Amino acid sequence: MNLHKIGVKVLAQNGDSVDLVELIPVFHRWIQTAAVEDLLIDVADYSHVHQGPGVMIIAHEGDYAFDESRGRRGIVYYSKHALGGELADRLAIVTRKALKACQRLSAEREAGGVSFPGNELEIFANDRLLAPNTDETHETLAPVITAFLDKLYGEGAYEIERENDPRERYALRVRASAPIEIDTLLERVAA
Amino acid sequence: MTSWRERLVDRTDPELTREIDAYEQQLELKKQGKVEANLFQETRLRRGVYGQRYDNGLRHDGIAQRTLPFPCGDLKKGPETVWDAPGMSRIKIPFGGLNPEQMELLADLAEEYSDAILHVTTRQDIQLHYVHIENTPDMMRRLAAVGITTREACGNSVRNVTGCHKAGCCMSETFDVTPYAAAAMRFLLGHRDTQDMGRKFKVTFSGCAGEACGLTSLHDLGYIAKLNEQGERGFAVYVGGGLGPVPYQAKLFSDFVPESEILPLAQAVCRVFARYGEKKNRGRARMKFLVHKWGIEEFRAEVLKEREQLTPDPAWTAYLDEVAAYGEQPPRPGAPLGATDDAEFEAWRATNVYRQRQEGYAIAMATLPLGDLTSWQMRQLADIARKFNGGYVRTTVDQNIVLRWVPEADLPALYQAFKAIGIARPGAGTIADVTSCPGTDTCKLGIASSRGLAAELTERLDAKFGTLDPRVKELQIKVSGCFNSCGQHHLADLGFYGVSRKMDGATVPHFRAVLGARRENNAHEYGQTIGAIPSKRVPDFVERLTGLYLDQREEGESFPDYIGRLGKKGLKPVLDEFSEVPPRLVDSSFYSDWRDAREFNISDIGTGECAGAVVSRIDFDLQEAERLHYEGQIALESKEYQKADDTAYLAMVEAAKALVRLREPNISDDPDAIVAKFRSEFHDTGLFHNKFVGGNFAMHLFRRHEDKARRYDEDNARHLLEEAQLFIEAAYDCQARLSEQPQLQPSLA
Repeated sequence: MNLHKIGVKVLAQNGDSVDLVELIPVFHRWIQTAAVEDLLIDVADYSHVHQGPGVMIIAHEGDYAFDESRGRRGIVYYSKHALGGELADRLAIVTRKALKACQRLSAEREAGGVSFPGNELEIFANDRLLAPNTDETHETLAPVITAFLDKLYGEGAYEIERENDPRERYALRVRASAPIEIDTLLERVAA
Repeated sequence: MTSWRERLVDRTDPELTREIDAYEQQLELKKQGKVEANLFQETRLRRGVYGQRYDNGLRHDGIAQRTLPFPCGDLKKGPETVWDAPGMSRIKIPFGGLNPEQMELLADLAEEYSDAILHVTTRQDIQLHYVHIENTPDMMRRLAAVGITTREACGNSVRNVTGCHKAGCCMSETFDVTPYAAAAMRFLLGHRDTQDMGRKFKVTFSGCAGEACGLTSLHDLGYIAKLNEQGERGFAVYVGGGLGPVPYQAKLFSDFVPESEILPLAQAVCRVFARYGEKKNRGRARMKFLVHKWGIEEFRAEVLKEREQLTPDPAWTAYLDEVAAYGEQPPRPGAPLGATDDAEFEAWRATNVYRQRQEGYAIAMATLPLGDLTSWQMRQLADIARKFNGGYVRTTVDQNIVLRWVPEADLPALYQAFKAIGIARPGAGTIADVTSCPGTDTCKLGIASSRGLAAELTERLDAKFGTLDPRVKELQIKVSGCFNSCGQHHLADLGFYGVSRKMDGATVPHFRAVLGARRENNAHEYGQTIGAIPSKRVPDFVERLTGLYLDQREEGESFPDYIGRLGKKGLKPVLDEFSEVPPRLVDSSFYSDWRDAREFNISDIGTGECAGAVVSRIDFDLQEAERLHYEGQIALESKEYQKADDTAYLAMVEAAKALVRLREPNISDDPDAIVAKFRSEFHDTGLFHNKFVGGNFAMHLFRRHEDKARRYDEDNARHLLEEAQLFIEAAYDCQARLSEQPQLQPSLA
């Protein structure tokens, strides 16, 4: 499948301890210092919206957010333009960007001690033309995603739950049996 | 299916498909450098594709201004607008009316092309931000498939036609204006007489004179429902209102225009505005300046004269059959609800529920913070609407969303459903329901952070909402990021617009207070400008001023009356109390804006696109000829020879029509008429002749036009495309000669 618009959310621990408004200066600083990949354009504040995208960095290639959709906070990265390589490569690129942002945010004083246990992810396809939330899409994408998750967590060491509302984006919620360091996940993504 | 076009073509009006195909081809031509920047900018604006802050490729990051190195290089989508820079898409929602299918689609678009946020504007549109221009054709196709357009949402055109969100359900309305607003929208959209205006044109319909839902006073053309002595329907018509830096109240054009006359009157007004309105000075180009300059008597006389000269159009009255049949059908019978013992619900009910004139039904309002809701909320709200009210949803000019036809007995359950998705905040229409334009968040013209201030005010006022005095609760706050008034600050009890002041060697964000507007009677009195307050002191100023109002008000005195009694002199002490800016070393927070950590500066202010660019009709027509020629080339490549040949011919006819329109603006689309007029006015007179080849290029058109037994093959199609290219170039030459030598310009018929 020629899918390029892919997103990954890495769920946070202590996410509720973060004052979203406090992240605004953090993200502006990230732009000043090019702290994360991509052509970073601006910060968008949606802290006033219930369970929304939180605070975002709008970039050209994709968007970053400390997101609180569905009441769970975490770092999201989703790509908006074409990525290189096969689908598995693209998934790895997106995951790497999200994980690096997690790593960076954990080190920020204003982030209220947020941490990322690394054992919960959401992977979604942001393209209803190529990948609507159907069984057909699942049959096509699941093998690629599963192979990727096997690499991250080890075969059989995680559970997957699929988004069941057909109107929502095709999404898989992944829960590994044990926490795992973000550094380790990054190494495995790169492997 | 490999494209949205392929997937949706059977579900879309063929004319809309053709329009969007044409727009997509224009994108392609722009990338090939075949469309001039101003022309392309106005073309995309008229499709609702708008610029956004930093789209000139520059952004001050708080330390220095940096170049944003977008991969597109020098490719532009306007004179100063980088192709790859994200932009805003404005989606027209006539009278704010939405159904669940449309809501779900909007939610999908926000996720896939924007940032999963839908923003309701003060003119009932939906805006998506950070949209890449390459995604806009697909977005338009998906919208068209559910009956929504972005056409003429921006640019010098007739914008969204707004209307009361309570229409049809309102206690005080004369009659339901919905079908009239819908008819005006359809009639004016793409109408030939609305294509050559110097500036945007806003139309609204209001069900009564007394309330503020339609905001007739600030529109170019406003209709207020009225019955004559015989009980026949019609409208009081107002013209020439507008906000912006210098707000004007609309003037009464006629106290009664029969329903059968409202569309021809709109057409006549548009023609007068297009012909006599200012075109060069963008700051004086709105119709309000023309009405002011002429005076309402002269303006009225000119419009009525124009009206007399219009060729009758069946569309003027065809919609009236629909008016009689129009009506929403609530799925469930109305059922009353008495007082409940749920204090939380009752607090919400007190501010967010309006009892309809139909017994047992209510309008319930979801208060959206800063007009925003998420894709997920929109999708859930679509489900709630299906369940509770048959899907009758409208956006409001106060940036909220209402569900109509809710049986009152269902309100507690509806409240719980709203609560579950985070839109059950009480306080709709109160001081805590702050309106704001996008300001410096995304607008190129923003000076200060209107959304940042609005968010801060909302948070503070929400926190103490339950303890506020009812006379303070009923006030309204509206914030704009600059003087252009997209946040409608002139209409609020407490209005603010962004300005800046130099202090301590730095620029400090401020807001100028505009106080004491009277919203009743369709916003019949704008607020008075008082003075500027540092941005960071505005929330304290609001608290102090409302406190003073409670302490000092006389018996029965309203807030506007209080402000009027104090006047600028009386308000000066409270302004002075809050005007001081501490040195940076004492408090640096004053030197950045609300919810924007960067040190404040105004270098990011860009060239706005609100005013569009003045592009004459002939430029658009010649561009269409070029696009048709391009379409013909694509057909040739696909070996569709008949299509290539016919399209090349149509391209020449279009170019001829562009010139003919200089002579006869109302020329029909009939090729026989166009070619005949072109021959007599441009060929036979020598105006079209090139000094080297004389009238040869015109012969390409004449030969093909007269070829009634056309043989369609590759050679013929290829040759005709080449001839069409020469003909179009000759039309451009002719246009240039005419503009350089006005004495040659054919006078308008």
